Amino acid sequence: MSRAAAGDADGSASGGESGESEGGDATERRVRREIETGRWEGIRGIALAVVGVGVVARRPGLVLLGAVGVGYALYAGVGEAPAATLDVRRTVSDGTPEPGDEVTVTVRARNVGDAPLADLRLVDGVPPGLEVVDGPARVATALRPGAAVAFEYAVRASRGEHEWEALTAIARDPSGSRERTTAIDPVDPARVTCTPELGAGGDLPLRGLTTRYHGRMPTNVGGSGVEFHATREYRRGDPLKRVDWNRRARTGELATVELREERAATVVLLIDARESAYAAPEPAAETAVEASVGAAGQAFRALLDGGDRVGVAALGPVDCWLAPGAGTAHAARGRETLATDPALAPTPSGERFYRSLWLRRFRRRLPADAQVLFFTPLVDDAAASIARRIDAHGHLVTVLSPDVTAAGTPGERLVGFERRERVRDLRSAGIRAVEWNGESFPVAVARATSRWSR
Amino acid sequence: MSATGPGEGDGDRDPVDRPERDAGPPTLAVVASLVAAGIATLAALIASPIGGALLALATVGLAGGSVRRSYRALSWGAGVGVVGLAVAGYRGAGVEPLLVGGVALAVAWDVADHGLSVGEQVGRDARTRRNVAVHAGTTLLAGGLSVGVVYGVYLAAAGSQPVAALALLLFGAVVLASTLR
Repeated sequence: MSRAAAGDADGSASGGESGESEGGDATERRVRREIETGRWEGIRGIALAVVGVGVVARRPGLVLLGAVGVGYALYAGVGEAPAATLDVRRTVSDGTPEPGDEVTVTVRARNVGDAPLADLRLVDGVPPGLEVVDGPARVATALRPGAAVAFEYAVRASRGEHEWEALTAIARDPSGSRERTTAIDPVDPARVTCTPELGAGGDLPLRGLTTRYHGRMPTNVGGSGVEFHATREYRRGDPLKRVDWNRRARTGELATVELREERAATVVLLIDARESAYAAPEPAAETAVEASVGAAGQAFRALLDGGDRVGVAALGPVDCWLAPGAGTAHAARGRETLATDPALAPTPSGERFYRSLWLRRFRRRLPADAQVLFFTPLVDDAAASIARRIDAHGHLVTVLSPDVTAAGTPGERLVGFERRERVRDLRSAGIRAVEWNGESFPVAVARATSRWSR
Repeated sequence: MSATGPGEGDGDRDPVDRPERDAGPPTLAVVASLVAAGIATLAALIASPIGGALLALATVGLAGGSVRRSYRALSWGAGVGVVGLAVAGYRGAGVEPLLVGGVALAVAWDVADHGLSVGEQVGRDARTRRNVAVHAGTTLLAGGLSVGVVYGVYLAAAGSQPVAALALLLFGAVVLASTLR
């Protein structure tokens, strides 16, 4: 925010120092734009033309009509676009709503300047990730010095941390020929933080890359566990419990039963949050990023409950990294990251994304024994290529892809076709891929898992 | 979307331009504009049927401009209205109806145009009544003041002055207006 611009802009304006009885200082503001609207352009020419006709035709009525036109030209010429010296207060009814709650926002603006504002339009800077559900966040009014206007609207809370932007005030002089657009920053910009509970997820299939810690992932390593793995020759020191006594009775040889060892996995949930991932089948629908974050929340909880170590990362221009961990505190951190991390904001950040830099940093951070659950809509080749590259570096990748393609126009169908091709390519490259569309994430995972061999 | 510095990122997503509302002009602006245009039509009709017809056409233009949200249609409507008043004046309309018609036409165009800009920036569903009423009131007041001055000069001169003298007087007023600006 360029606060520096506010200084010279306010220089000419008589702010709140004039000591009005009602008190209150003008809220800090920056002039964005001052323009001539040109709406009365041509009135002088028309007036003179009418006067001319009146003179030539000797009609006093027309001359007088032209004179009235000149009067309007004068009216349009005098006056300056007034400075929007407003005291703006914005309050929200609930700072920490649940997703889907309606939050009422009240904005109150009082004219603390000396001049009346004959034509004032206020547009509130609703955060781009929130949807206004009741009443526009705008008002047009006229304010005497000291008079106030208040307006209310409701937004529907959605996941994330949302901070209101500056309120835009557009003031015109009475004739409307000059306009000044001002951005007003209330001292305390309203903020809404919405942290959804992580949904309960089903059992999540992981691939066979595990840590040395005990857990729930069956491995191909023989040892102690519950499931039969192999038998081998008896070695001195093997526990008596594991000696295959049936075999001993049958053949007289001593043999030891090996059981499949179960170990914990380290999993990093990687969420595609590049600008292209903010895709949705229709304008009002949930974006792929929202779907991915929701599914990642379920996976996070399910994996943590299963004893695995889980981390979170975002594939996008804004850095986001939660190192894999376990425990209650880590669960809270994960929930916080998924809900409010700027990298996973409900709208794209608009910054540039450098893929190779990102990949280098990601690989440096990724523990050697970590596998990756990659949530991506797969709407471009870059996502598939990143999945393949991470997989090639030895971190087994499972791609979990919300399907956000539509099937209306030929273009939409083409995008859907290309996406299916990408999924097929990934599968043929040995990367597991789960798609889900409409149905819930655990259902899709359960359906896909039944097809897979371990 | 152009590449801008980090400080100007907000400018890309100007809240004023976000599509979340019906951008039509407020109902009050449309109604006030049509009422004023109707008065202008009546005033011209008293003097000459052709002038009245042209002003009726202007009313249709203003209504169409409001509905289609077209500034150009409004300008054309106002232009046709001025021609209609000129025709009425040429055909010997009285001074009084002509002045009333002129102010009414100015108010009609001004309120319709104002309504379009309010609709664009604030929307049809927002609270705009006070804004539109104040704007229409000041425009009417400005017109009333100019009519008062002009008509006063006309009565004081009592028709004895030649029209050319009146025009010269006006020319002086225009020069004054230009220097003031």
